[in-house]
Amino acid sequence: MADARRTLTSIGVDVGTTTTHAIVSRLRVETPPGGAASPKITDREIVHRGTVRETPLLDSETIDVDRVAAFVDRELEATGVTADEIDTGAVIVTGETARRANAEPLVHRLAADSGQFVAAVAGASLEAVLAGRGSGAATRAAEAGGLVANVDVGGGTTNVAIFDGRDSARDRTGPGSDGVAVRETRCLDVGGRLVTFDDRRRVISVSPPARTLVEALELPIARGESPPADALDDLAAAMADRIVDLCAGPPFDDLTRALAIGPLPDESLEFDGVVFSGGVGRLVASPPDDPFAYGDLGGSLAAALADHAVVRSWPVLEPAEDIRATVVGAGTETTTLSGRTVSLEPSTLPLRNVPVAAVPDVSNCSDAALEGRFEAGVSRLLERHDPDEVDAVALSIDDVGPLAYDRLRAVGDALVPALESLSPSLPMVVVTRQNCAKVLGQVLRRRTDRPLLVLDELVVGDGDYLDVGEPMPGGESVPVVVKTLAFGE
Amino acid sequence: MASDSNRTHDADSTGKSGQVDDRRDEALRRIVDRTPTRLGVGRAGPRPTTASLLELRADHGLARDAVHSRVDETLVDDLELVKLRTQVADTDQYLARPDLGRELADESLETLRAECAHAPDVQIIVSDGLSSTAVEANVPELLAVLRDGLADRDIDVGTPVFVEYGRVDVMDAIGEELEADCCVNLVGERPGLRTAESLSAYLVYGPERGLPTAKKSVISNIHDGGLPPVEAGAELVDLVAEMLEREASGIDLRDDDREFTT
Repeated sequence: MADARRTLTSIGVDVGTTTTHAIVSRLRVETPPGGAASPKITDREIVHRGTVRETPLLDSETIDVDRVAAFVDRELEATGVTADEIDTGAVIVTGETARRANAEPLVHRLAADSGQFVAAVAGASLEAVLAGRGSGAATRAAEAGGLVANVDVGGGTTNVAIFDGRDSARDRTGPGSDGVAVRETRCLDVGGRLVTFDDRRRVISVSPPARTLVEALELPIARGESPPADALDDLAAAMADRIVDLCAGPPFDDLTRALAIGPLPDESLEFDGVVFSGGVGRLVASPPDDPFAYGDLGGSLAAALADHAVVRSWPVLEPAEDIRATVVGAGTETTTLSGRTVSLEPSTLPLRNVPVAAVPDVSNCSDAALEGRFEAGVSRLLERHDPDEVDAVALSIDDVGPLAYDRLRAVGDALVPALESLSPSLPMVVVTRQNCAKVLGQVLRRRTDRPLLVLDELVVGDGDYLDVGEPMPGGESVPVVVKTLAFGE
Repeated sequence: MASDSNRTHDADSTGKSGQVDDRRDEALRRIVDRTPTRLGVGRAGPRPTTASLLELRADHGLARDAVHSRVDETLVDDLELVKLRTQVADTDQYLARPDLGRELADESLETLRAECAHAPDVQIIVSDGLSSTAVEANVPELLAVLRDGLADRDIDVGTPVFVEYGRVDVMDAIGEELEADCCVNLVGERPGLRTAESLSAYLVYGPERGLPTAKKSVISNIHDGGLPPVEAGAELVDLVAEMLEREASGIDLRDDDREFTT
């Protein structure tokens, strides 16, 4: 039997367009008494807030990996914990940094070096969600029982996550989550660092998204020159317009569409609250007197947002975290715990970067049609990934249908042959949202010898990735990070 | 069962503006939706409304039925359980004399010795306890998973039995008589006004009469709205295997260093 209570030490590292920071937190895990309850993370305490440092670059395309690693080491030293004592957490590359040539090896190296089970993470949409969980927007949505948008304005990108705290949304979240559903995310290539200046206010760089705006508005802004103040104000105002349009649309302006990362939604929403976070977002409440204080457009963009008529009409709420919202989200909100779990081959843990295919609509699928569904899921995995290059593959079944033994046996009868196209030594992870991991594990074990892990009470989407840690000491639950790995979006 | 449809909000509530009313209604609805407990059901003067009073009495009737009705004989036969009975004569005596519900009737002791395998690894017992409804709703699915899972691990289940008017500790007497290594007793729980279908599984290693409750393990809240019966079956397989391996149950199975004083 597991202890009722334990603690995980968690690290969060955010390597952003402009700044890099790390935090260390303690996550309290409690198992409510009784047979039906699974352990949950009940409290998140930040024990060390690292210094906000400029992200070190070797050149415009390459992150200085060694110096970033040294930053993290220094923060661990300041906290008084060693990497061995870090149980979990996440390293995320955000904004324009995710597009640098060496972003992918960077996060994987930092994740491996920073602790026992630290996940490498990338992707604008996940970044938006983590920022909104870190800023407290998700909590605000739950408190208000409404829709709250977190607008994280950083150096390279603006990431909006919309949280739905209404009861009607609760079914869309996993039982292990805090019950706040992410309605959607909206991401844009607009940030304060898109134009940088030297100390004489001459333009050092104009990144491609800023160039799109400069050309569209025919503004006299070019490298090496000191642009007139009104041209910079016009550019900042245009950037603010794009951010407002991103939140308020559809319909969306063509320029917003040109700068959007990923798909844009087709329904406009009314927010019960809007939270600004991120390095630029935090300045919206009180823009700096000197717009050049940060050597970029951040100050001007914040001022343009603060003055925007539409922003003034929004119910703007105070963030709990501003510039550190994403790193706090990465450090405290990425790890969830599975339900009581069957591990048919515990030695295969931990598993990292396991690609997931979701098998849709299993719940109302007839027994006879199940095998075809599972085969389609496996083919999708094989289309997207070379099985020799992954630790394991995962199928997310979400809802198997009624939790009856006959149904579970039918699922087992269909699933095992569907896996035949995979190497028998490749570990297979099966994920469901229902509480049935042990019985499904028992059913599958009777039918196959392949290394197999069944995780329950988790919601995982198609194209996501999973990291699965070793079981909690004395417990039957495993830490899980559900994430994306999208570089160069 | 308590349903949302008959809930009415307090008709007295009047706000200064419609917006305040809306927000208050929304807040109340969120509280009411979060629990099956009878909240926000309104009132008629100082008394409950007729609708909620009727609903309460209907739910109470279900709970009483669960206590007073007997488990369907054909179910016991279908599950191939040997039928036993405690020293209790009827429901009233069952409620009044817990001690009699822990000991088998003389003829049942003879049946037990004659028909049940001696010294199994685990003796499986199904007891009606305080809810025959819980037994009928959960045991068929649970038992099928439990039997298969134990067979997979080569754990010998002997001859499973059904005990009419059984209490939790009847497993001590049965286990002692059969010299079982351990016992699993699936008992219908005292019904509430929310569900009459909740089952618990009690377990003991080295059963003998008079063993204290602290030596027993439990997996509770087994029903469709709690721990699903199929998943409970698979959890029991793991717990039985752990008990047999560690030769312990109850607080002796705990890993933590909490101290218990008596």
